[in-house]
Amino acid sequence: MKISYKEIIQALFALFLIILICVLINNISINLTRTGIGFSFNWLFRPASFALAEHPLPYSPSDSYAWALFMGWLNSLKVIIYSLLLATVIGVFIGLSRIGKNELLRVVSAGYITIIRQTPLLLQLMFWYFVAFLSLKETVLKPIGNLLSISNQGINFLGITLSAEFSSLLLGLSVFTSAYIAEVVRGGINSVDKGQWESFRSLGLNDFTGLYTIIIPQALPAILPGLTSQYLNLAKNSTLAIAVGYSDIYAINDTIINQTGRPIEGFIILLLSFLFLNLFISNGMEIINTMITSSKNN
Amino acid sequence: MRRIFTGILTFSMLLTGCVNSSVGIQSRLELIKKRDSLICGVSGKIPGFSFLNSNGNYEGLDVDICKAFAAAFVGNSKKVQFRPLTAAERFTAIRTGEIDLLSRNTTFNLSRDSSKGNSLIFAPVVFHDGQGLMVKTSSKINKLEDLAKRSICVGSGTTTEQNINDAFEAKSLPYIPIKYQDLNQVVAGYLQGRCSAMTSDRSQLAAARSGFRNPKDHIILNDVLSKEPLAPASAGGDQLLSDAMRWVVFALFTAEEKGITQANINQQLQLAKNNPQMKPLRRFLGIEGDLGEKIGLPNDFVVKIIASTGNYGEIYNRHLGPNSKVPIPRGLNEIYNQGGLHFAPPFN
Amino acid sequence: MILKKIKQRAFSNILDSITTLIIISFIIISLTTILKWIFFSANWSVVKINLPLFFFGSFPKDQLWRPGLWMSLIAILSFATLLAPRWKWVPKFLPILWISFAPLGIFLLGGGLGLSPVESRNWGGLTLTILLTSFSAILSLPLGIVLALGRQSELPVIRKASSLYIDTMRSVPLIAVLFFGQLLIPLFLPIGLEINRVYRAIIAFTLFVSAYLAEDIRGGLQSVPKTQREAGEVLGLHPLQITCLIILPQALRVALPSLTNQAVGLLQNTSLMAILGLVELLGIGRSILANPEFIGRYIEVYVWLAALYWVVCTLMALIARHLEKQMALEKRG
Repeated sequence: MKISYKEIIQALFALFLIILICVLINNISINLTRTGIGFSFNWLFRPASFALAEHPLPYSPSDSYAWALFMGWLNSLKVIIYSLLLATVIGVFIGLSRIGKNELLRVVSAGYITIIRQTPLLLQLMFWYFVAFLSLKETVLKPIGNLLSISNQGINFLGITLSAEFSSLLLGLSVFTSAYIAEVVRGGINSVDKGQWESFRSLGLNDFTGLYTIIIPQALPAILPGLTSQYLNLAKNSTLAIAVGYSDIYAINDTIINQTGRPIEGFIILLLSFLFLNLFISNGMEIINTMITSSKNN
Repeated sequence: MRRIFTGILTFSMLLTGCVNSSVGIQSRLELIKKRDSLICGVSGKIPGFSFLNSNGNYEGLDVDICKAFAAAFVGNSKKVQFRPLTAAERFTAIRTGEIDLLSRNTTFNLSRDSSKGNSLIFAPVVFHDGQGLMVKTSSKINKLEDLAKRSICVGSGTTTEQNINDAFEAKSLPYIPIKYQDLNQVVAGYLQGRCSAMTSDRSQLAAARSGFRNPKDHIILNDVLSKEPLAPASAGGDQLLSDAMRWVVFALFTAEEKGITQANINQQLQLAKNNPQMKPLRRFLGIEGDLGEKIGLPNDFVVKIIASTGNYGEIYNRHLGPNSKVPIPRGLNEIYNQGGLHFAPPFN
Repeated sequence: MILKKIKQRAFSNILDSITTLIIISFIIISLTTILKWIFFSANWSVVKINLPLFFFGSFPKDQLWRPGLWMSLIAILSFATLLAPRWKWVPKFLPILWISFAPLGIFLLGGGLGLSPVESRNWGGLTLTILLTSFSAILSLPLGIVLALGRQSELPVIRKASSLYIDTMRSVPLIAVLFFGQLLIPLFLPIGLEINRVYRAIIAFTLFVSAYLAEDIRGGLQSVPKTQREAGEVLGLHPLQITCLIILPQALRVALPSLTNQAVGLLQNTSLMAILGLVELLGIGRSILANPEFIGRYIEVYVWLAALYWVVCTLMALIARHLEKQMALEKRG
């Protein structure tokens, strides 16, 4: 029997990984016994005894930690979905402005992209919250009559109230992600052969119809993968909610770790919740992708 | 599950030769001495207690307590490293050994002290506080009930958060908690009108208010929501370190009681050396007996502390006294014979 | 002539003209508001007084020349890179200089070899931001290359392990990885072994960023035609030599734009350490805002920080673009 060097390398590598993992587990179990933390998830069903400002489903402080975490997960999902839509709208608009005919619009959107992309998201979020919303103090802005009012308590649009925390996270995430989406859109449209523009123009279509019916459908396969990864980034970035006081999954997990003193269990829960969020988004994009490709084949 | 876990564990122990699981658990105090410096967890963001001044140094009451510990443990109040910690990460930091001890506005309570809870050991209380609420004078809010259905700014992961919840739940009043990571964000949220009130320990409210442009526009409500005895803490199960910490704090109280200050410590030392009949003073300053040795410290640890930070009253006045930037009346924080709660058992 | 050009570019039809006018009025209004605020309403004393803190953190006053020297060296190196093509001998040394400036930073900040030691708790501000960025970048590049090669490997065990690592890291938010670095790494270490906080942050950043770099490099590897490997085999080179000398340099050149984007992203992401208690640039801003003297001055602080980050990031992007051009030129030449 002859064992090739490839198999030896693999076996050695596997052994190395196993040893590494075992050493780490060994250390952690020694540390856990030494500090008396232990490892269990029983605490999940004890009452949380902290209130939440925003909860999509009924919640009271006497509900369990598990329920509080679920509220956090839903809050995360909520802000992700809203920002995802808003970011796409702004991003497509900026992306189209970047390649439009109007020189000034091109310059302004390029300026927008560099300012947004070259400053940290965390700083932008604090800016939106502390400067854009909280600086309003007593003033209430009503740009379009009574339909929309903006104050330091948040946004009220047609009777729907969004808290200042939620709104600033929504705006911050959307604006930040839109700058990246704009580049994805621009790249996608530029990938379409320039001759296509001339050919529909020669057919007498105007730019808007041509863009909508001819260019964008062809650009979509190039845009979608980039868009998906931007959406996944947005989901991950939503954890910065803690800096503006929005109760997302990370913030609630943070509070719970502090109250229960169980960092490892909390960390595992955080990872699992992100696994689900990611599956949610990538599967959703997959469905959109198949919808588009199948409609194109018809 | 447990069987798999133990299986992996034994396997890994075999692999690594770590079969002797009885690792020599030494006291953290030995580690501090060996390292020749103390790692102290502070907030770093509370005026008067611990914050970064423009020279880039931490200062405040909590910071000076750390310096006193360093003076006693390694003989030099400068050999201390400060780790700024958020409220949420402080206990994890102490458990994982990231810091030696915590001097960070931490409330002493049962679940933090117990081995089944956060498993800490608390030193004596260095500041007696109580949770309060601050509102704008113009808001006409006078009591807890006026805050029903209003939003309240609160620091997350703190007992503050639980206390405000208890107070409102007891009266079945609904309210909206707006949670921030640290106090200066709470202050910002409150000042900019995001919340009708902010809640924190009353000392912190006073500290924050003293920094406002118009302190008179804000009042602290009379409702005291809780007792907040703030104390330094160390990891549970380490008697050597916790004893040393306890007696360092007591030494600060005793020095004030005996009128020993940073300015007169050398005179007092000479006095004690020259007068064999002054037994209590000689024991306290380590000229006679072996009180220091019993808690793992040099016998003259008190002298080192007082020479570098002064007694409790001096520390208090430096950071919270009438001439400081954050004046807070001493009240409960006087020594017991002045009507306060600070009392040290005898150094015998 | 000029008028005609302007007309063509911004006023070609009614819709265009309206957009242009709206934009111009928008720009005028916002510029006047911003300038008015900068020069009249804002109180910049909070920035002026704390300038050393913003740049160097709470580094000991008498040792300030050390981070100062380091920062100036970086500035000189940046300009040298931008101007390099004028002197022929410079480009050869540049990569070595760029790689060595991170260890030099640790030496200058931390001390040793004749310099008095300074604890890492005193490192802060922009210096710490740049240190975190440069060190993590230099460490994650080799790790990223190894992971990318691992993912392309013929050996299933190595391929699966690399894929698992890359995919897991890429599905987790950075703040969770940093949280792991700050609070959980100590639990995985044997008793008595302590890694200081700054290094733990660097480890966490390296673990995170290398997964992203690996994917970018993999893209580069895929773009190298198969014939290159075959050509190497014909020449009788060892597979390792082929990978290191033929495939990798080409792949890295293709991946360079995305790699530099990752570096700029890394610099911005170091700001997340402010949430976890390090006093890097954003963290020091938050600490300063806690000083009773400066409570409520956060608009000025945030604007200042935004400007500082923007300048540093733009400079980084400029240097990166420049390097890309240089490499493209070299390839042609």
